[in-house]
Amino acid sequence: MDKTADSRADETVLRYVAAARPVQQLISDTLTQVAGFALLLMTSRNRAPLAEGALAGAREAAMRASEAVRALAVPKIAEHHHHHLRAAAAALLQACAATLDCLRVDASEQSDALVRMLRSSSDHLRTTARLLPGFELVDFGQACCAAHAPQRLLQNVT
Amino acid sequence: MADYSIWVLEYAAVEKFPFSVMMYGPQHQGTRKLPYAYVLLKGKGETILIDTGYDHVAYGEQLATAYGVSNYHGPRAVLAECGVAPEDVTSVFITHAHFDHMGAIHLFPNAKFYVQKSELDKWVWALTLSPEYRFLTGGGDPADIVRAVEAAKEGRMICIDGDQADVLPGIDVHLAADTHTYGSMYVTVRNDGARDGEDKWVFAGDLIYTYDNLTGLDPEAPQIVPIGLAVGSQHNLIFSSAQMLKSVGGEVRRVIPVHEDRLRTTFPSRLTDKGLQVVEIALAKGEESRVG
Repeated sequence: MDKTADSRADETVLRYVAAARPVQQLISDTLTQVAGFALLLMTSRNRAPLAEGALAGAREAAMRASEAVRALAVPKIAEHHHHHLRAAAAALLQACAATLDCLRVDASEQSDALVRMLRSSSDHLRTTARLLPGFELVDFGQACCAAHAPQRLLQNVT
Repeated sequence: MADYSIWVLEYAAVEKFPFSVMMYGPQHQGTRKLPYAYVLLKGKGETILIDTGYDHVAYGEQLATAYGVSNYHGPRAVLAECGVAPEDVTSVFITHAHFDHMGAIHLFPNAKFYVQKSELDKWVWALTLSPEYRFLTGGGDPADIVRAVEAAKEGRMICIDGDQADVLPGIDVHLAADTHTYGSMYVTVRNDGARDGEDKWVFAGDLIYTYDNLTGLDPEAPQIVPIGLAVGSQHNLIFSSAQMLKSVGGEVRRVIPVHEDRLRTTFPSRLTDKGLQVVEIALAKGEESRVG
């Protein structure tokens, strides 16, 4: 591949990263929310209905994320990444459905399915974080180790 | 004689941490070492941790390169300094839901975990807000919550609603609402078993980072100065600090900030061959010293 072609390929990947990053963030935030809701459901079932509005919002966000993943222009080099991003979104949608099932029926079959889907979405998401740079899952800015990070990151960049 | 043996076990550290984050206000007063540690209690048939630390496999490299966290060692190596394996741990108190405090739930397969309900409730709520509010939910890892769900499914995740005495014998938990996080919790160990005894220890989580938060920097004019990192209010941090201090009769050294490097000079301690501090706060009857 000549230099121009190289540079075009780099640009395509950069465009993919720029477009995929917010989608991954949306999946990550929504997954945390659904998992948090599931945790409420499993630890204090009587309080879970209070957060049903949040679950409805999460379901809508999961659908948006799923559509956004499908709409991404995927260069060859990012196909593996995209595969896991798509799987994370699909499992998240299934987790939302499983959470609703759990709300209706308090049975271990339902909660098994829910845990399985949450785990699947989380694992796929973690894989996306490993495959390409810029997809880290934790915002360390709130962690006690990280308040000095902006300067350090800046040093790394310059 | 103490009911519980108590150790603070360092598992990683940031060598140069800005003092202005440990304490709200002093913007140009340099850096200090910030140890990462958790607390191990043994006694009454229980092996207990206060917080789990984080999972190096998940984000250790990122923390090391971007944030200067060094010398990480996993719980198997760290707990071995006190003759304990992760499988031996029976209970874990999660002081708050940041990755560095609940990021290793999966490494303690036989433990029950205790966390405040409001820590989860309000986090779920905060996640419904739009992205410009993401400061409120930073420091959390979706994988940690998924692992918490798995533990809950197995009946090993217990949500506590506010203050609760004797969660385990002689161990009380207290909600410090809207402070460092929405539902931060501190843990009191009444080590003589008495309700109003004198041998009481408070484990502060991240409500304080250093003893200086309880005393201020001027010995002539002591004051409570909050930490520099909160989603709640400085007001609440100050009053929860005051409450912790009051509960131990004003004896500052009995309120334990796990990020305080001076624990090693305040209590008997030793440096392991991995360069980690083991701090011994109390020894129960029949327990051998791990720092002697």
